[in-house]
Amino acid sequence: MAGRLAHGVQVRKEAWGLLFYLPAGHRVCFIRSGDWLCPGHFDGTWSLEDIIADVSTRTGTPAEMVERSLPRLTARLAAGGMVADEIR
Amino acid sequence: MRYADWPLSAPVNITWEITHHCNLRCIHCLSASSDESPDELSFDECRAIVDQLAALQVFEINFGGGEPLLKDYFLPLLRYIHEKGIVTCVSTNGTVLTGEAVACFAGSPLVNEQVSLDGATPDVNDHIRGAGTFHRIVNGIERLAGKNIPLSINTVVTSLNFDQLDRIKELAAFYGARLRVSRFRPSGRARQSWEMLRLSRAQLRELSAWLNADPDILTGDSFFSVTAGGRRRMGLDMCGACKMTCCVDPVGDVYPCAFMQEEAFRGGNLRETTFKDIWDNSSTFERFRRLEPASCRRCPRFESCHGGCPAVAWFISRDLNSADPECLAAWGQAQKSTLKAQNHNLKLKSHYTQ
Repeated sequence: MAGRLAHGVQVRKEAWGLLFYLPAGHRVCFIRSGDWLCPGHFDGTWSLEDIIADVSTRTGTPAEMVERSLPRLTARLAAGGMVADEIR
Repeated sequence: MRYADWPLSAPVNITWEITHHCNLRCIHCLSASSDESPDELSFDECRAIVDQLAALQVFEINFGGGEPLLKDYFLPLLRYIHEKGIVTCVSTNGTVLTGEAVACFAGSPLVNEQVSLDGATPDVNDHIRGAGTFHRIVNGIERLAGKNIPLSINTVVTSLNFDQLDRIKELAAFYGARLRVSRFRPSGRARQSWEMLRLSRAQLRELSAWLNADPDILTGDSFFSVTAGGRRRMGLDMCGACKMTCCVDPVGDVYPCAFMQEEAFRGGNLRETTFKDIWDNSSTFERFRRLEPASCRRCPRFESCHGGCPAVAWFISRDLNSADPECLAAWGQAQKSTLKAQNHNLKLKSHYTQ
């Protein structure tokens, strides 16, 4: 499961990926995800499987390849307090 | 590639000096604030700027001045910014807090308050901020404390208050606040007080160790030039001007940072062009993003500070290509030079006495 942004966290799209802002400590986190991820993926309505399918469809990347990389990335976001493991 | 080199479509945060008006005359004031400048931005102009920043998804606005609370439209502007979801940090001298201001801060989860205090005792603080200010500032801190407002006490570290830092931290903790220390830089009125208030090399070395030992002290990335290993990964390891941040002054001029408000560094004016245009196209900003002091490139500490603070280098040497004169490596070189000179003198002495 991918989750939603943690309380107070904001994210914006940059050319190289996503920039997360954590108000606690006024920290930022750079995620070099290119065009794979977009802020909408963290609105709480997307499952990890949905995101994999979306990335694969939009970028033409084989789903297996996305599947290998994406869980690590979302786990990192969860560990960093940027997303909460919940789906609305 | 360093994180801070990854091009951003907009800053992470901006410093906004909303007015030059201030009721205090602190001898280290970075903007030499006193009276309101003619032609400061109107409320409507400020709101239009906020609209631009919100559209660009700027995450945070840090207000300073001048004393922001002396601007008549400041609280309505703050509320407008919070409606847009932008986090704010308000830096105040704590002496003009009103009930309405405290209620406004307490009522928003998006506000952070920072009160400036430059000593743990009236004699030290008042020497810097003016007679009678210590008690007025502490009264202000008392009004903000316990209201569930994220609160920090900001101290500009100088030779006068250096020995009181632990006591100021205790005072902050007493009021449920954190201590944030800022670097003393020679801009504004600090140009006149620089020699009197600057830290000695021994003090800078001690400060580096003190910060290294206590990760609870906030620095706002002020001290990356002297940061030792223990604080690595706690913030930037380089100047973020024009990369992550920039400064808007009371008349809408945009500068790389609050300490570099000189015509030579003006990126543009928000009455004449858009913020996005300045951020993307200002040649001054582009030059700042490429800044890498030539004298630092072979330094073993280069990856830790990337040349240090350009503002200090500029005001000391008028040369942006110079290294930050207060960097750790410079102390090492100075120490080596001193030791070499001492050894040389000893050899000479020995030679002539034989």
